[in-house]
Order: sequence, then structure tokens, then C-alpha cells
Amino acid sequence: MSVSAGDNIKLDWDRQEDEARLEEFDARIDRGELIEADDWMPENYRVGMLRMAEHHANSEIVGALPEGEWITRAPSLKRKLALIAKVQDEVGHGQMLYRVSQDLGKPRDAMLRDLITAKTKYHNVFNYPAPTWADVAAIQWLVDGAAIMNQKSLADGSYGPYVRTMKRINMEEAFHFKSGEDMVLTLMSGTPRQKKMMQEAFDRWWNPCLMFFGPPDKESVKTGPFMRWRIKTATNDTLRQKFVDRFAPAALDLGLKVKTYQRDAQGVVQRNPDGSAIWTIDEALHPIESEKRWGFSQPDWDEFYTVIRGGGPLNRERVGLRRFSYEQGAWVRRAVLGRPTGAPPNRN
Amino acid sequence: MGLSKVRDNIPYYSDDLSTPAEGDLRTYEVFVQTERGKPHTYCGSVDAADDEMALMFAREHFGRDQECVQVWVAPRDAVIRTDYDKDLVFRLTDQSYRFAKGYNVGMKWREFREQRDYDEYKKEDLREHF
Amino acid sequence: MTDLADAHKKPLVQLLFSIADDKLVLGHRNADWTGLGPILEEDIAFSALAQDDIAHAGAIYGLIADITGGDADHLAYGRTANTYRCCDLVELNDEFDWAVAVVRQFFCDHFEHLRLRRLSRSNWTKLRQLASRMLAEENLAIGHADQWIVRLAKSTSEARGRIQHAVTKLAPLTPSLFEPTEGMADLEAAGVYPPLEAPMFDAWESMIANVIDETGLRAEFRAPAKDYVGGRHGKHSADFAAMLSEMTEVYREEPAAQW
Repeated sequence: MSVSAGDNIKLDWDRQEDEARLEEFDARIDRGELIEADDWMPENYRVGMLRMAEHHANSEIVGALPEGEWITRAPSLKRKLALIAKVQDEVGHGQMLYRVSQDLGKPRDAMLRDLITAKTKYHNVFNYPAPTWADVAAIQWLVDGAAIMNQKSLADGSYGPYVRTMKRINMEEAFHFKSGEDMVLTLMSGTPRQKKMMQEAFDRWWNPCLMFFGPPDKESVKTGPFMRWRIKTATNDTLRQKFVDRFAPAALDLGLKVKTYQRDAQGVVQRNPDGSAIWTIDEALHPIESEKRWGFSQPDWDEFYTVIRGGGPLNRERVGLRRFSYEQGAWVRRAVLGRPTGAPPNRN
Repeated sequence: MGLSKVRDNIPYYSDDLSTPAEGDLRTYEVFVQTERGKPHTYCGSVDAADDEMALMFAREHFGRDQECVQVWVAPRDAVIRTDYDKDLVFRLTDQSYRFAKGYNVGMKWREFREQRDYDEYKKEDLREHF
Repeated sequence: MTDLADAHKKPLVQLLFSIADDKLVLGHRNADWTGLGPILEEDIAFSALAQDDIAHAGAIYGLIADITGGDADHLAYGRTANTYRCCDLVELNDEFDWAVAVVRQFFCDHFEHLRLRRLSRSNWTKLRQLASRMLAEENLAIGHADQWIVRLAKSTSEARGRIQHAVTKLAPLTPSLFEPTEGMADLEAAGVYPPLEAPMFDAWESMIANVIDETGLRAEFRAPAKDYVGGRHGKHSADFAAMLSEMTEVYREEPAAQW
């Protein structure tokens, strides 16, 4: 994760820590103990954990946006209620993760301001558009499915407050995922138009989900110490493979076609003049019996880095809407902060 | 699309924020009771301006995604806590005297009953033979 | 009374549509805020209340479906605009102005409380039971609205100004709440929709005054004119047409399909 978490909150691997305490801390990690907010911890552990929790919180908050725009258009009362509850959960997860981050030393306001001025990042996957109702289904099934896989591994981490939050979040994500699965099943059992809509949405989200877990491990820096301290607990490639093993057969079962980028003989990705991808059936997608896993084509990692640098389809809109919300709500927070904290509102 | 004006034309900003940095609200710890008769359990925290707001936020955030009969909130700074490093909470010496499992009464009952039966037997035995 | 008299069915359906449509439209408007609220915790709370509104609407559509046949989704999504019975106040697009959203919730929820209180005394058992359950939840919404109105009106002059502005903007729309639906007098006389001790408008105005009098906000309300014809008779605002088309955009693609 390439996140800058403010000016004075930086990773510094040359920092000198108290040797004895560091040794004791490492031993606790090795014993599988959980670290709590008021425990001593190495500065790089605190910063690494803060960055991760902050990035995660940002992702929840921005992740509420692509689906949020479908709340007003959900096609039945039950779907409408479920979608509101789902988006509300994302906000709730954001709140809990910001709380974890606040206790690691960064005020919530500073985190929100860094997010809306693009000083910090959020998950890449939310920079893709959700142009149809079927995209809501695809997001809840695939993106939430990917998120659960990631978060399940993070629930084996070493930082107590974050681990407990992951467990709680995963319980709620289970409903998102089920609701997504229900929507995909409904659309794939529906009219030809609904099936087409679902396939097109699936095409839009399959590759972003492969990118969801981050770049291939060899390119991933900093994996070392974070794995050692169990801030991260599984490598990007391991999680990506788990995702494909779980979702590829299910998608094929449903009659969905799994596609990849059209590439030329040299393996260079071909695109439409407007820059959009040209999808073609992923011929590499089949079970590899000897390795007990599914083969699949890698996504376009150049696209991944373009999106990370802010050049994704909707980076501006996502940040813009969050900023609108922040600025629009500033007077409410000013009003609330204007009163001495801790006192009940003066009713006289 | 027929979305609201805001969603249809999301503003793009290239300038700095027009508002100064804000402070955070006060942190409250939240406890919920899921059933009458069960203990209240800690479930997280909310930021709020005051007690009334904290209770409202806590109720809607943590009291709705599970069945819940009561919510407590307490300002974090009102919770007095021990220090992991400095304060020893649990004693390291043998504490078995203060736990039920430290008393092996089962075995003692068995021995007691065996002794009583033996005493009875001896009494019977004595009466019959003497 | 376990069975509803045939003569009361038609007027009751009109009344129930006015409640369900109000709740659906208000819930729809307020739910649009999910993810964009001014404070994260409040975002969650406001969304929870919007869900309550839509869930209540669904339950009332279900009750209507029991009377007329059909199903709740079709009643919510599949009617023509002029058969909706919601009022101008809920139809208004708040355009993400928090003061407008909160003041509207404040006006509507006190009104809804009165309507449900009346229904919770209905002589039709089924309706009485449903309304009693909803009344308890409605009171949560009232507590939320009251708290924000008092809090904001008594804080910074900026916030007070915004709340006052919203009150002044929305007060002229409040008569739309009180427009009677067709045949309401019969329901009142028959005890299906028993009247309160005071006229609805008076009862509502005094509840509102109880909260805002202490804040010093200025507000003038009036009951609807006798010849007022609005949402309760299918005459809707321009905002409603846009909202309905947005709300049913996906549904209309294949109204017969499962979604």
C-alpha cells in the first residue's frame, strides 16, 4: 500500500528503538499475542498499522459512493432497504476503522481532510464506474467477496483493536455478500436482457477484483516487516489465487463468461480508441489439477498503476463527492464543536 | 439519468480546503446488553459532542445490527484503567485458594462417605459378632 | 373489529396510500444522504431512520395489498404518478442541504406521530396493531429531529441562521400535510380513523411549538385552505415527477421481472 499518512506520520526504518523493548515486543508477536492501543509498540509498527487502518477506513467511506448512487433507483422495496443498510454498514465500518486509527494518533478530521485533498488513498477498485443496477450485484458479490477474503486474513493480525473490528466487519460483510449472490442469481435466472446486463457488469468488475489484492508479490515492497509483525498476514498473490479458486467456478456455473484483456502476440494490451478495455474470453481460466488451483490471466498492471496515480475512470468524482459532503457539512460540525464538549445541550 | 443535481454534476476541486482544520469530538465508549439478564458488553466507541448525542449515535450505530435491550455510553476519559506494563492485575502466586476448582471436595465427599459406610459396617459387624 | 366494512375500503386505501407514499418518498429522500452525512455517526443514524420509513411504507403497502390484491412492490413502484397520495413537503428535493433535511424530518415526523396515534386507536384490529408497532419507532425519529433542531438552533449564529432559513422555506409547504384524503370524514365517523381531541393542525402546531418556542426560531404555520387540492388528490410537485422517474428507473425496464 502506498499511503502517505500526513507529514509527521512516516515510516522510518532507520529509527532507533529501545532494543530490550523491541525484543520483548517481537517475542509477544511470535507468541501470537495481541497488541492493544495502550501497549508500547515500535514507531514503525504504529505508523504501519495506522496507515493500513486509515487506508481501510478511507476505502469504506469512498466505497459507499458507487453503490450509494443506486439507493434511489433500487428496483424493489427489499432491495432498496438492503442497499441502504449495506451502504450504511460501509459508513459504520469507516467509523469503526477511523476510531482505530484515531487511537493510533491521527485525528479523524485530519484523515478526512487528507482523503479529500488526495493526500491519502483509498482502494483502487472504487475508482471504477457502476453504470447499471447489475453493477451493484457485481460489486456486492465480487468486491465484497474479495474484501471478506482480505479481511479474514487481516483478522489473524496482531493489533487487537483492528482484529476485533475485522471480525465484526466480516460478520456484516457476510450479509453484503449473500445479498450480492442473491442479486446475481436473480439476474442470471431472469430475462435475456437481465442476463446481458449481468454479464456486462461482471466484465467490468472481474479484473478490478483481481487487482483488488494489490500488485504481484515480487513488486510489492515493504511486505517483509509488516508480515513479520503480522500487520499483513497473507501475500497478495495468495489471496488473489484464493479469490479465483472461489469465484471462477461459481461464475462459470451461473453461465457467466470470464474475460480478460485482449492482448497482441507480444502480450501488449489492446484497447478501444477511448481507452476502454476490449474483453475476450480468458483461455487460461481452467482448473490445474496438479496444482489444485485455477489458472487465470493476470490483469493489466499498467492500468492498476495509472488508477493508483489518480488517472482512473472516476478518481476525481469519488474524491469530489466526498469533499462536497465534507464542505457541505462543515457548518453542522462547527455548530456541534461550538459548544463545550461533554456538556448536554443547553435547553434554557 | 435523473439523479439529484449534486450526483449528476459532481464538483471537481483543485483548490485547497476553504475551511480550517476542525477538532475531533469527544470519545465515548459504548456497551450493549443484547438480552435482559445478560451482561452488558463493550462493543466500540463513538465521537460525539455530549452525552445526549453520544447516546443517540451509539443506539443507532451499535444497537441496531443486533437485538439489543439497552445501550450504555460513558466518556472515555471517565473510564479509569490500569496500565498493562506498570500495574500487575492478576497475582502470580498460587491463587487456587480463591477459586472453586482449588477445592477438591468431590474426592473428599467420596472419602467421607466411604468412611461413614465403613463405620456403619463396623457397627453392624460388631453387633452381630459380639 | 376484525373485518373491514366494504364501504370503508376505498377511503381507507386512500388514507393508507397517503401514509405509505409519504413514508416511501421521505425515506427515499433521506436515504440518499447515506454516505454523505455531515458526521459519520449521524450519517448512520439518519440512514437508520430512513430505513424505518421505507420499512413502514412496505408494511402499509402490504396492508393495502391485503385489501385490494396485488403486492407491495407493485404498489410502491408500479402506479401512475397521479395515483400517488404523498404531499409536497416530502416531495421537495433537499439537494443535500442538511438544514432542509432535518427541518423536514422534524415537521413530517411530528405529523406522522399524530396520524399513527389515531390509527393505533382504530376499531379495525389489523390496522390498530400495525400502527401501534410503528408508533414506538416513530417516536425515535421524533427524538432525533427534536434533538437536532434544538441543538442547531441554539449553537452558532451560522447554524441558527440556516435552520431559520429552512423553517421559513418549508413552513409554506406544511399545509400540504393536512389535506384530507377522499372520504376521510366517513372513516373518522366510523372509528376506523378516530379523530384526536383537537383538530390535527392544532395538535401538530402545538407539538412543533413545544420544541421551537424555547429555541427562539420564528415560524408561522397555517392550516390548508378548504379548497386546497394537492398531493392527497394526485396533484404533485415538479420534484415528484423527477423523483418517481428516478425511483422506478430500473423497475420500469422489466416491470414483470424479478430483480
